[in-house]
Amino acid sequence: MTEVMVEARGVRKSYGSIEVLKGVDLTVARGEVTCLIGPSGSGKSTLLRCINHLEKHDAGVLRVDGQLVGYEARDGKLYERSDKQICAERANIGMVFQRFNLFAHLNVLDNITIGQVKVRGVDLQVARTKARELLTRVGLENKEENYPSQLSGGQQQRVAIARALAMEPKLMLFDEPTSALDPELVGEVLDVMKDLAKSGMTMIVVTHEMNFAREVANTVYFLDGGVIEESGDPRQVLTSPTTERLKSFLSKVL
Amino acid sequence: MSTNGDDSMEVVPVRHIGRWFGGAVMLVLLAMFIHTLLSKPDGKWRFSWNVVGQYFFSTELLHGLLVTIELTVISMTIGIVLGVIIAILRLSPSRLLSTPAWTYTWFFRGTPVYVQLLFWFNIAALYQHFSIGVPFWSHAFLTINSNSIFTPFTAAFVAFGLNEAAYMSEIARAGLIAVDEGQIEAATSLGMTRGQSLRLVILPQAMRVVIPPTGNEVISMLKTTSLAAAISVQELLGAAVNIYSVTYEVMGMLITASLWYLTVTTVLSIGQFYLERHFAKGALRTPPPTPIQRIRSDLRGIAEKFPSSHRRTNEMSR
Repeated sequence: MTEVMVEARGVRKSYGSIEVLKGVDLTVARGEVTCLIGPSGSGKSTLLRCINHLEKHDAGVLRVDGQLVGYEARDGKLYERSDKQICAERANIGMVFQRFNLFAHLNVLDNITIGQVKVRGVDLQVARTKARELLTRVGLENKEENYPSQLSGGQQQRVAIARALAMEPKLMLFDEPTSALDPELVGEVLDVMKDLAKSGMTMIVVTHEMNFAREVANTVYFLDGGVIEESGDPRQVLTSPTTERLKSFLSKVL
Repeated sequence: MSTNGDDSMEVVPVRHIGRWFGGAVMLVLLAMFIHTLLSKPDGKWRFSWNVVGQYFFSTELLHGLLVTIELTVISMTIGIVLGVIIAILRLSPSRLLSTPAWTYTWFFRGTPVYVQLLFWFNIAALYQHFSIGVPFWSHAFLTINSNSIFTPFTAAFVAFGLNEAAYMSEIARAGLIAVDEGQIEAATSLGMTRGQSLRLVILPQAMRVVIPPTGNEVISMLKTTSLAAAISVQELLGAAVNIYSVTYEVMGMLITASLWYLTVTTVLSIGQFYLERHFAKGALRTPPPTPIQRIRSDLRGIAEKFPSSHRRTNEMSR
């Protein structure tokens, strides 16, 4: 048990000739909420996707819970992990997407049980009981028979959070979870996330919700052009920014 | 209230004179068609309906129909299974897997199915024997004569099945590509392997896109199997030809066979409708009504236009 959940040192990532991450350092302690803010194209989402290995970083060190992401260090060499090992790692990291990405052909209950049953090998009845508990927790206990297309965006996102939580993750990643929502639906999703933060979940949230960052986050990182421009306590960083870039960014979003 | 009239004015719908005229022409053509269908020059049915009646349920023709259905089912099974495998290989990141898949489709789609049929029928000219053993090693565990494997029936379903796989692979690929990438990412982030996300998330959703063109392929295959008559398979057309070569009732037998093809096609189309409805789950908020539901709601609509006296008295008593 390390107290550091996620550690990034000099993480780099390029798509072709475009370098999206240009050496990012970041530390997330266990049980903390970290918000990544910054203009679009700054590399926030890419960093998040590197953490659960949806994208492969090109250089630098990235550790989750003390383990290197995607590699194993043995005898002074880095061995690339097998697909199976990577899948097992990912199952421990929950991810919530901007566009919800609920499985369209499954109803709400099956969306939440499929990972438990097929990846973890949990008994279906046990998985269902757990799914119902989680649905109650996100306030959707009467929607288990519905298909995603029959739910509002806010409801879909809450189901997506329940789906991720069903895997009992040690870390939750949120990729702009409220950006695709109508303004009046943002609150219900943020409320679920606040409850989750209070329960002690380690969370990394890419967001444009500055109020959420100020209220909930322990640390805020401001990314611009693939590097971390500024970081620290949100009340400090968001109210009295030191860099010009963050000042101009905040003046646009607030 | 409105700007160009008040509520008491009568609404006069626009008259579609062109439609009325076209409809009249259609009705005349329909009458002419029915007339010629039922005409009896020289006291005999022009369209040999007596032959249809005599042979429609004849044992020989029904046996031919059975062979046609068998050929269709076996060929489509080969086509679908192989087609899906080829589509998955085609989408593989490895060139060593995707290139052979592309080449397969290129070859089997690029040569006529009739040529392929004759090719498999005559395969013994290329290979007298087929054997199972270690590649490039002369010793074999099992050797079989080609002609005993490739009977006309086998040659037919191998030819149709392999040819169909080329078309089905493109249909399956279209279905796989159509599934939103976010679905794959969500499956991956839950820790599913590539195989699991394919089987549990992508393929079930691809089905919705894949079924209509696959239904098309089944119906097309049903008719393509008639080519097998050329290599003396006694399927539906072969049986019909057999009969008319004795009785000379050429048109009558061709019409009889056609009516059978139409019958099976109709049954297949109905099956396709229900299959599509099943896989539309989740994609549509309300599934399309079945024909029976549609008739029921139409009847209800009519009933509401003409309320029964019973209901009217009810309303009055209230």
